[in-house]
Amino acid sequence: MTAASSTPAGVVMKCLVATAAAAISVYLVWGLRSFIVPAFVGCLLAYICRPLVARLERWIPRSVAVGLLLVLFASVALVGFNSVRAAIPSEAALLELRVRALYALNRHYRALMELDASWSRGNRLYQLIHRDLDPLMDRVSDVLALTPDEHAQFVASRDRSTDAVSARSDRLLDYERANAYATEMRAGRTGRSDAAPKTIGGSASSAPATSVPKNEPTGLGNVLSAWIIAPLIFPFLLWDTGNIKRGVLSAVPNRLFEPTLAVLADVDEALGNYVRGIFLECCALGLTVIVLISIVGVPLRWAIAIGIFTGASNVVPYMGFAAALVSGLTYALLAEDVHSMLPLVTPDTFAVWVVAAVSLAELLKNALYEPIVLGGAVKLHPLVVVIGVLGGATLFGPAGMLLAIPTITIVKGLVASSARHLRAYGLM
Amino acid sequence: MTTKLTLTGLKQLLLPPRPNTGSADIAAIRARALFQAPEGAMTKRGGNLAEFLRLVSLFEDLGRRDLARVARIVHEREYSDGEYICEEGRPGAALFIVRRGVVEVVRRGAGAQDVPLALLEPPASFEESAAIETGVIRWFSVRARGPVSLLALGKTDVDGLILNYPVLANKVLVRLAGIMTMRLQMLIDAELHRESEERAEDKA
Repeated sequence: MTAASSTPAGVVMKCLVATAAAAISVYLVWGLRSFIVPAFVGCLLAYICRPLVARLERWIPRSVAVGLLLVLFASVALVGFNSVRAAIPSEAALLELRVRALYALNRHYRALMELDASWSRGNRLYQLIHRDLDPLMDRVSDVLALTPDEHAQFVASRDRSTDAVSARSDRLLDYERANAYATEMRAGRTGRSDAAPKTIGGSASSAPATSVPKNEPTGLGNVLSAWIIAPLIFPFLLWDTGNIKRGVLSAVPNRLFEPTLAVLADVDEALGNYVRGIFLECCALGLTVIVLISIVGVPLRWAIAIGIFTGASNVVPYMGFAAALVSGLTYALLAEDVHSMLPLVTPDTFAVWVVAAVSLAELLKNALYEPIVLGGAVKLHPLVVVIGVLGGATLFGPAGMLLAIPTITIVKGLVASSARHLRAYGLM
Repeated sequence: MTTKLTLTGLKQLLLPPRPNTGSADIAAIRARALFQAPEGAMTKRGGNLAEFLRLVSLFEDLGRRDLARVARIVHEREYSDGEYICEEGRPGAALFIVRRGVVEVVRRGAGAQDVPLALLEPPASFEESAAIETGVIRWFSVRARGPVSLLALGKTDVDGLILNYPVLANKVLVRLAGIMTMRLQMLIDAELHRESEERAEDKA
C-alpha cells in the first residue's frame, strides 16, 4: 500500500471508487437482466459440453467437434419443436379435451363427495371442506366450460362418418350436456350469475382472448432477441481452450495467483459435481416415473412424456414431484380406458394408483438416488433453496427459478473456498 | 550436464564451494539435492512457448502436438526482483517452471532470516508435488532474483490433462515420478555422503 492511499483522503477516495463500482455493477446487472439468464444458460451448456468436446478432440479437430455439437443441438431443438407442434391439439380437439376434462372432474368430485342431484348436499368430507373447495371448483369449471360459441362449434364438429365415431361423438355430447347441467346446478347452489352467461348466452371470455394474441408477437420477439445470445455464447465458450481462464488469472496479482487457482478449482469441482449429480438424478427419476406409471396403466407414449416432464422439472427443487403428480393425475382423470398390468387397478381407482406410483418414485429419489448420485454435492438449507428459487422466479421468471440453485451453488462455493484459501495463504 | 549418481559426481554436483557453508547449514545440502535441476536443465533457451517446453525435463517425452496442448494451458507470470513466488508454510497449488531469469530457493532460519538453499535457472521446475496434490504445506520459499518470467501449471490443469489426454498426462506423470525418484535418490546419497564426511572428520 502506498503512503498516499493510506491517508484519510486516499481511504475516502477508495471508498468512493468502490461505491461507484458497486453502483455501476448493480445498474448493469439490472439493465441487462434480460440477457443474464440466456447468457448463463449458454455458459452452463458450454460448461456441460466441455468434457465432451475435449474427448472428441482426441480424434477430430476442436472446431469440428464444436460444429458437430452445434448440429446435434440444432437437430434436437428441431425434433423437439416438431414434436411439441405435433402434440398441440387442434381447435376441435382442444374443445373435446376441455369437455372431457370438465366431465371427469365433475364425475370424480361428485363421487368423492357423494353429492346429491342438486350438488348441495354431500358426505362429511364435503361438509367439512366445501366452503374452501367449492370456489376453487367453480373457478376451474369456469375455465374449462365452453362458451355458447364454442358449444356451437363443438356440436358442429362432431363427425358421424362411421358407427364407432358416431358413438364417440354421442358420448362427448352427453358429457357436454352433463357439464352444462353441473354448471347450472353450481350456479343455482351459489346463486352466482356470472357462471351461467358463459355457458348459456354470454361471451365473457372472448374479450381477453382477443387481447392476448395482440401482444404475443412483441413479447415473443423480445424473448427471442434476448435468448439469441445463448447459442452465440455457447460455441464461443466451447471454442475457448483456456484463454478465458488464463486471461482472468493474468489480471490477478502474483500474491493472489495460487489462492485464485485453488478457488477456481473448488468452484469447478462444486459446479461439476452439482451438474453431473442433478443430471443423473433427473434421468433416474424420469425413468422411474416412466416405468412405474406404465405398470399402473398409463400408455407408454404418455408415460414417456410425463417422465421427461418430471425429469426436467426436477432441476428445480421440489418441482419434480409436483410435476409428476399434476401431469399423472391429469392423465388419470381424463383417461377413459385403463389397461394396467396390475389386476387391482380399475378406472375408479386409477388416480389413486397413479398417485401411489408417483409417490413411490419420489420416495426412491429421496432415499436412493439423492444420497448415491447427488451425495453432498449440494448441501443447502431448505430455506435457502426456497428463498433462492422464489427470488430467482421473481427476478428472472421461470428461467431464474431453474438457474437459482446452480447460482447459489457457485456463490456458496466461491465464498467458502475464498475464505478458506485466503486464510491458508495468510491474506485474511 | 549429465548427472552421475556416484559419490564423487554427487559431491561435485551437490556441494559446490560456497562462502558460508558451515555445519549449521546441513539442511541446505539436502535442499540443494532436491532442487538440483535434472539432466540437461541449464542448457539452451527456447523461442516460442512450445519450443521452450520441449526443454523442460517434465515434457521431454511429448510430441509437437502434445507440447502445443500443454502450451495452451500453462499460465505465464512475471515477477519483479525480490518478489516471493511461493512462501514457506503456505499450501502449494501450482507447479512452476523458470522461463527467464533466476529464482532463489530459501528457507526461514533462526531469527526469521532467509537461508539461501539453491538458485534455479531456466528451464528448471519446482513445486512438482503441488501439481498432483494441492494442500501440501511448503517447507521452503522461492523468490525472484531480478525480473523473472515463470510458467505455472495448476493442479486442475493437470487434472484436465489426465481426463482429456490420458496418454499425454501419463507421459508427464511418468517423467514427474522419475524426477521425484531421482531427487529422492540424490537426497539419500547426499545424506550418506554427509554422514561419511562427518565420520571421517570425527576420526581425524
